[in-house]
Amino acid sequence: MIRPVFALAFRLRAPAAVSAGAGLVAVSAIAGALFPAVGHTIGKLDLPRGVADLLGGADYGTVAGWFNGEIASVYGPLVVGAVAITAAAATTAGEEENRILALLLGHPVTRARLIVGKAAAMALGTALVAAIAWAGLELGVALAGGGIAARNQAALALHLGCFGLATGAVALALGAGTGRRGLAVAGASGFTLAGYLIAGFAPLVDGLAWLRYLATYHYYSGHDPLANGVGIADCAVLVLFAVALTAVAAAGFERRDLRG
Amino acid sequence: MSGARAAILTDGLTKDYGGGRGLFDLDLEVARGEVLGFLGPNGAGKSTTMRLLLDLIRPTAGRAWVLGFETRAASLEIRRRVGYLPGDLALYLKLTAGQMLEHLAALRGGVDRAHLNTLVERFAVELDRPIADLSTGNRQKVGLVQAFMHDPELLILDEPIAGLDPLVQQSFHALLREVTDGGATVFLSSHTLSEVERVADRAAILRAGRLVITESLERLRAQAIQRLEIEFAGSPPLAELRSLPQVREVEANHRHVNISFEGSADAIVKALARHEVRAIRSHDDDLERIFLRYYREGEQ
Repeated sequence: MIRPVFALAFRLRAPAAVSAGAGLVAVSAIAGALFPAVGHTIGKLDLPRGVADLLGGADYGTVAGWFNGEIASVYGPLVVGAVAITAAAATTAGEEENRILALLLGHPVTRARLIVGKAAAMALGTALVAAIAWAGLELGVALAGGGIAARNQAALALHLGCFGLATGAVALALGAGTGRRGLAVAGASGFTLAGYLIAGFAPLVDGLAWLRYLATYHYYSGHDPLANGVGIADCAVLVLFAVALTAVAAAGFERRDLRG
Repeated sequence: MSGARAAILTDGLTKDYGGGRGLFDLDLEVARGEVLGFLGPNGAGKSTTMRLLLDLIRPTAGRAWVLGFETRAASLEIRRRVGYLPGDLALYLKLTAGQMLEHLAALRGGVDRAHLNTLVERFAVELDRPIADLSTGNRQKVGLVQAFMHDPELLILDEPIAGLDPLVQQSFHALLREVTDGGATVFLSSHTLSEVERVADRAAILRAGRLVITESLERLRAQAIQRLEIEFAGSPPLAELRSLPQVREVEANHRHVNISFEGSADAIVKALARHEVRAIRSHDDDLERIFLRYYREGEQ
């Protein structure tokens, strides 16, 4: 009985995903409208390498650099990640804290199927935000006067979706494993922020450069999808990471007492 | 040990939360077709027992069988056959009552729509209203409908009349009688005796996580100290009443007399028949006293 779990979880979270996507569209549109007036003036900022990397190269003089800095580096992953984390934490630990899971699990549904249904809903919600973000990019880039291939915009949206999946899966595992919503949100947010910083700064230190491979943000942005299109291997890593954490979530949930 | 014949069987079932909280060494058998009232003050372990039976939580020690299935090994099969109403029922506030029931019916699968509609009408569930706008009692009605909607073999009901008005309580008790007449078993928890007294064949009393007694209500009533309040036309025959072996206590206030007695009332009635009696009232709160005695024994 995965379908009813999936359908309801998606239905309850879809409005938040659409609102967040609408916000991304608005920001993309504003960024696109501002570029002709501001972008060339700012040009390429002379920043330390790590900081510049965290801002997508900090090259505000080109449309690709502008959108890398404004959308792809911070705002896009922030919004998609937040939607995925809140959805995953709310539908697992949130419902457990609200005592709804005690009622649901009085029905003939296994805990593993419940988690898979909720993970699928989180994935679809994330895909929805990413798809809306793609539409926002198309609009923003058009307003900026063009300059980024449509397939590369789609590639960024795909990378955003995969990044959201991986980020949400961390919250899913923590929420299902502990039944604590606050811990799931804080843990997944901390993990993602740490990954963002590691992806930017670890490469600056020779001995620590390998750490970036532990950061989901590295697989999201390392390939630079706005410039190079889809990084299939990077997306695959993010998806496999999400699948593995969903399995961990199901196993962790299966082994413990329901709280409340 | 196997619980094939019993609806519920527990063997040393224990859930130790530490600090003396939890459920300890519960040996309980509920026969098929029986209505067992599970009584105890708040925190006695009633909900913990029910959650263990449904595999929502796992025992620290001991085992349990429901409808012949071991709770850890065959939880899914158990939940397919059981109707469960959790205590502190929670529902999705953003859904309407109808959407909530649709969701739970889809989760369960194979629910007879006609039966579901009958239950909805019977409890006058307002299907179109959002759960968030429903009172506690109206939410509880949604909980009751979902517990009964698949015609379960066993009903595990945690505080089922919480928040229900007297009319709905009547509907609920009538439905309970119908399903037990049809062979279903009911395991019902409460912290109030009157509810259990109305519907149960036997009562099990839990205190501080331990089973104090399991007894038929008939036998519990036989242990009860009964009370009669009598108004005499003339002087009350106090000495005569006090001399009767069944009488425990006689209190007089002018022509009004309160008598506490055990066992048969026959000798008292025959003694009263020799005097002019203006009014006589019996009090039915005696079982309550027995239960309170069991509750309090451990505290003293």
